[in-house]
Amino acid sequence: MPKYILFILVSLVIVSCSDDEPTIEINNPPFYDFERNGESTVSFTGQTTRILMATELINAMTDFNVTSTHLLEMYANENAMGQDVDPFNNMELNNSTKSIKSKVAASKDFFSSNTAESALIKADFEKWINGQINEVFPNQNLLATPGVAGQIADGTNVRYVNGKGLEYNQAVNKSLIGALMVDQMLNNYLGTAVLDEADNRTLNDSGIPAEGMTYTTMEHKWDEAYGYLFGVSTDASDPLATLGEDSFLNKYLGRVEGDSDFTGIAQEIFEAFKLGRAAIVAGDYDVRDAQAQIIRKKISEVVAIRAVYYLQQGKIGIPLSGNDYGPMFHDLSEGYGFIYSLRFLRQPNSVAPYFTRSEVEGFLSLLNEGNGLWDVSAETLDFISDAIADKFEFTVEQAGS
Amino acid sequence: MNRLITLFLLLVLCSCQDTTEDIFTDNFDRRAMLTNWVDNIIVPAHEIYDVRLQALRLSKDEFIIEGSTLTFENLRLAYKNAYLAWQAVSMFDIGKAEEIGLRNFSNIYPTDTQLIEENIQGGNYNLELPSNFDAQGFPALDYLLFGLSDNDDEIINILQQTAYSSYLNELVDRLKLLNLEVLNDWRIPFRSEFIENDGSSATASTDKLVNDFLFYYEKFLRAGKIGIPAGVFSGNEIPTSVEAPYSGIYSKELFFAAFKAVQDFFKGLNYDGSQDGSSLEDYLNYVATENGTSSLADPILAQWTIAEAKVQALDDSFRSQVENDNIKMLEAYDELQKAVVLLKVDMLQALNIQVDFVDADGD
Repeated sequence: MPKYILFILVSLVIVSCSDDEPTIEINNPPFYDFERNGESTVSFTGQTTRILMATELINAMTDFNVTSTHLLEMYANENAMGQDVDPFNNMELNNSTKSIKSKVAASKDFFSSNTAESALIKADFEKWINGQINEVFPNQNLLATPGVAGQIADGTNVRYVNGKGLEYNQAVNKSLIGALMVDQMLNNYLGTAVLDEADNRTLNDSGIPAEGMTYTTMEHKWDEAYGYLFGVSTDASDPLATLGEDSFLNKYLGRVEGDSDFTGIAQEIFEAFKLGRAAIVAGDYDVRDAQAQIIRKKISEVVAIRAVYYLQQGKIGIPLSGNDYGPMFHDLSEGYGFIYSLRFLRQPNSVAPYFTRSEVEGFLSLLNEGNGLWDVSAETLDFISDAIADKFEFTVEQAGS
Repeated sequence: MNRLITLFLLLVLCSCQDTTEDIFTDNFDRRAMLTNWVDNIIVPAHEIYDVRLQALRLSKDEFIIEGSTLTFENLRLAYKNAYLAWQAVSMFDIGKAEEIGLRNFSNIYPTDTQLIEENIQGGNYNLELPSNFDAQGFPALDYLLFGLSDNDDEIINILQQTAYSSYLNELVDRLKLLNLEVLNDWRIPFRSEFIENDGSSATASTDKLVNDFLFYYEKFLRAGKIGIPAGVFSGNEIPTSVEAPYSGIYSKELFFAAFKAVQDFFKGLNYDGSQDGSSLEDYLNYVATENGTSSLADPILAQWTIAEAKVQALDDSFRSQVENDNIKMLEAYDELQKAVVLLKVDMLQALNIQVDFVDADGD
């Protein structure tokens, strides 16, 4: 009987291609470059426009020749009668029908059936703008004291604050990061209510571009989210090379990236945007949505980290003696805006925000009590810092330095 | 002889289920629903509207001849009654109504008072042109009957001028004729065509009318009557863009007439509630029973009840509500909007109907 050496190699490959998800190959490019028929499909001009409008508005808030009517027109890109106006230096912005105000607290997920709160938020910005003109500007040449608006030194810089030590221009600047950029990104464009609206999936599956465009509607929605972060980057396909090119979300992503406790966060966010976009091209919506969750988590962290950072810097700046309140006011004014922005952060895998309006108002009222920032205590700043950090994985110590 | 046998067994066990999405077919009797819609809801709505328009015509004729305060008051009342009846017709933008643009010629607001005056003074105008959408219909009547002056006697005097009375005459007669054209089409040819088309595709009657219904709810009820004046879309309150701003106090009443019509359509009720036929509510209940889930009709109706209470708390004049306390207006809008998600996403999914319009996002 012959000897048989029997090698039985049984390879059981159990492929559970569940339901209707055959493996989809995603072509993830090294940079944010996507094309159809040789033409780029990446477009976010509306986001670039709004970032530039917001930049002009912020700069104009410390131009003592400007009127409140002019600032409000920059905010709304129309006058109080709803008529077209040309409030900007950049003529392209004047020609645009877009505005900052129309996209403040205007995301589909958070505000489409919450317009009452949206109106209050829009009005908060108008209140700060009017405050700058009516309270701060008349006191341009007075020294600020408790209860009296005016100027105050921050090193060799001059800051202009209201009676409570708040710089309205900082409040507007940092609050726009949440109310405009973050809200539109996390709660509008990255949400399935927008990405999958109507027949977006069918058209994207078939690669049918929007009318007259190179991109499918779904691709464009995703890019619009991207544009609120990288809309003014020199090279938007490789934006991390030049982080910090605006005064809004891009800048502060750069700041958080620069903190060794969080190094790598910018790359994580960029990769999630890129892979999510590539997944849309491939029609893999599970991968797309997973990237949206990563972006929600990380962008929310950026804002929360900066809120805690400025509160902690403000705490360090509380003068032990003397009258050197300027640096502290500046930090806490930035912090004020970042706290306001907390309202728009989005918990991943959830429809819920991290913070409600009343929670945020609670924090701000602690800063506003009495003479406001003039007499805020270290305990109060720590209390708010802890309450914010508690909802995230970072510590106050990591964020605060 | 030794033999080396290598058996390489590659067992690929693929537990793939059917990958194609099921073509959803339910056995709900769509034809019965279509029949109820036409015979108990749509045609009666156009008939009642026709009767009210006839009354409006008569009071208009009497007023033009007599010009008395009494005939003027009668005319205003007839205008209001016809406007209320219109609210039950507006959503059915299908068939002849869609073809001739019934809604565009009957109720586009805010009305263009400057254009109206130009038409009247020039005397040379064509109301069939789209550029005259906002110079005719009820909004133009609202202006003529209530907006020409603060003083009623003065309004009567102006309307007695030939140029004004002939414009008034033409506006009213035109409303009547347009509706009659639609009504006659429903009565004879379109009724059977509509009911025969009882399948489930983008062009089937159910799919089309449900889309019309949703479009109406979103654009005309939610946005037009509440959202736009409250500044939801522009960020600025526009109190003058409410429905019937010159008569002032009718905007809430008109809203409720429209909202009742929306809910009646959903529930399959005829105008006085005496007939309860097959409807979207029944359809949702049917699908729920088939799938062993809870019916979507309940949360939709519950949401409408909440919205109704919010609107009930508003001033009779939405114009003064916007001017005095717009947040309440926005809160009412928010409750109406919450139903949009239930209707447009959840209901359409349950009934396997594709939405054929999208929000214009503006970016």
